[in-house]
Amino acid sequence: MSIVWEQLEQYQPTVLKMIAKIVQKGRVAHAYLFEGQRGTGKKDVSILFAKSLFCINRNGYKPCNDCINCRRIDSGNHPDVHIIEPDGQSIKKAQIEALQAEFSKTGVESNKKLYIIEHADRMTVNAANSLLKFLEEPNSETVAILLTEQYHRMLNTIVSRCQVLSFKPLPPNAIADYLKEQHIPSHFALLAAYVTNNREHALELSRDDWFAQARKIVLQLYEALHKNYLQALFIVQEQWIQHFVEKQQIDLGLDLLLYLYKDLIYIQLGETEKVVYKDQISYLNQLALTLSQKRIAENMTAILQAKARLNTNMNPQLLMEQLVLKLQEGD
Amino acid sequence: MKFVIQRDYLVRSVQDVMKAISSRTTIPILTGIKIVATEQGVTLTGSDSDISIESFIPVEEEDKVIVEILEPGSIVLPARFFGEIVKKLPKETVEIEVQNQFLTIIRSGKAEFNLNGLDAEEYPRLPQIEEENVFKIPTDLLKTIIRQTVFAVSTSETRPILTGVNWKVENNELICIATDSHRLALRKAKIETESEVFYNVVIPGKSLNELSKILDDTTELVDIVITENQILFKTKHLLFFSRLLEGNYPETSRLIPEDSKTDVIVNAKEFFQAIDRASLLAREGRNNVVKLSTLQDGVIEISSNSPEIGKVIEEIQSESVTGEELKISFSAKYMMEALKALEGTEIKISFTGAMRPFLIRPINDESMLQLILPVRTY
Repeated sequence: MSIVWEQLEQYQPTVLKMIAKIVQKGRVAHAYLFEGQRGTGKKDVSILFAKSLFCINRNGYKPCNDCINCRRIDSGNHPDVHIIEPDGQSIKKAQIEALQAEFSKTGVESNKKLYIIEHADRMTVNAANSLLKFLEEPNSETVAILLTEQYHRMLNTIVSRCQVLSFKPLPPNAIADYLKEQHIPSHFALLAAYVTNNREHALELSRDDWFAQARKIVLQLYEALHKNYLQALFIVQEQWIQHFVEKQQIDLGLDLLLYLYKDLIYIQLGETEKVVYKDQISYLNQLALTLSQKRIAENMTAILQAKARLNTNMNPQLLMEQLVLKLQEGD
Repeated sequence: MKFVIQRDYLVRSVQDVMKAISSRTTIPILTGIKIVATEQGVTLTGSDSDISIESFIPVEEEDKVIVEILEPGSIVLPARFFGEIVKKLPKETVEIEVQNQFLTIIRSGKAEFNLNGLDAEEYPRLPQIEEENVFKIPTDLLKTIIRQTVFAVSTSETRPILTGVNWKVENNELICIATDSHRLALRKAKIETESEVFYNVVIPGKSLNELSKILDDTTELVDIVITENQILFKTKHLLFFSRLLEGNYPETSRLIPEDSKTDVIVNAKEFFQAIDRASLLAREGRNNVVKLSTLQDGVIEISSNSPEIGKVIEEIQSESVTGEELKISFSAKYMMEALKALEGTEIKISFTGAMRPFLIRPINDESMLQLILPVRTY
């Protein structure tokens, strides 16, 4: 499935306008850094950009999506377009070296070459430094596109050598409205919209049983946290660990929990229209009366800390148990 | 696409093109062999994007029908399976037919394979050959040139340009230079060409090694075409494409000393063996360094000393030693590789002092030379 220019323009009008100018005027920099939250269309835009540069029958600045170059970029078969993804946890030095070896040679078909590095923040320090040398001495027609969700984890030395394009997050309500049009129940729609920034991904999520189950478990855990702390540990042990297996899944689960606490704050501030778990509002109203704002803020900090620890290879079960104990400390 | 082909020819071609296919490729289509059937014959292509090999099977050869084309067309088939399948088919002829959705049927006798293919349109385009700018070299000479230069390329990726061999074409002469910045190999050869063109390209050492493997030892001429980003070697039925290295090759002509202070002429074989013996102990040490000193009456002494192991001294009688006395140290490995690359029984080594690079050349042959940088010892 290839996404066309017009579709992406709705998401990221500013970025696409810049790319259109770049292509039209032929002023392509040697390195770009696409920065923005998950689901803001960074990869789609980078592929589109690649197609614009390589397309044979380019129409103004838009790729035709039908010529041999466009089709091969879509299928990953273009010999002069390279996409690097993290190999496991990180992008290894060997991957960057392979890329460098590739780019020390002339292009296969033309002299134009392009590489896209996904999750560029996950480069190991070694890898980043090898890339740096490469960014410093660009070949004439080589274009690099680095994608990252965590702009601040990139080396400054790399950022300073790239032209940075920021991808704005979509307003969650816009995504939720779109989901409701697709007959997704409103309480799911809003939650999915908060979790991801991509309409298609949100739609996929809200149709997924796993997501519904995840929401249920999070609510159960939340309820238990404020009733009976032993029960909360049981839920972690019996349900959470089984359900949230992958790191990304745990991350999403923690996000869901975080939104609950965020809702409490909104209720206390009287901004009930911003509440995500709208169907739970009466229950949340009760709780909001029993917890101080300071406590809620502390709990949110605990969850955010847990999210950060997740990236440092902590055992997920210990992580969750520690979190549960922390969330209950005040009780 | 539909054609019937003699299995032997197909097997041979598939084996040839398989040499270019790597299992570790990031581009999915390159795991396949591209097959194109035209009225003239069948072309098979394999590639790992660095090198590409194309093999052509004509419709008939020496009045013998090899391929019967029923319907022209093209397809890409997974190399791993296709290679094994054609090798093991039962009968002498193979029928290959492409149906809808790139489903390919391979029939031989009563055996029938259905293999899922890929769209040939997705396959990388190889450069079009312009017949004007061709130059020709005999196959055996080309192999010798490769053997005499490619060993000296750098294996370190820090300066990628040095991992290739510099080929310069001017005045009907081909000059090949390889260096890893510690030693240099140079080889010149006359070429046959009709056009007065000038080229200066750098060919990856790996590609030349592969090329050398697929060439036979014949005196037939190889056509060589250099395009903007690829070089093509063309033999009777095989086309070998290689990408070039990007960047400018360092200017090396200044490195080669014009005059010399000490000239030594020795028998290459004896000298090689002496170095080999001296390096037996030196090899164990850190750097494999041997020392050469000139003595009276054309005697040269080769020695190496590794304090923790022991030492070796050997005297050999040279043909002649002219000029100043000299003591110099160098890497035995580089010297042995250089001697192996040179032809001829007598070689001349020209030194310009203990700290300057020295030249090794066969006597009476200006077409090849080896240059080695000495090692500083105290």
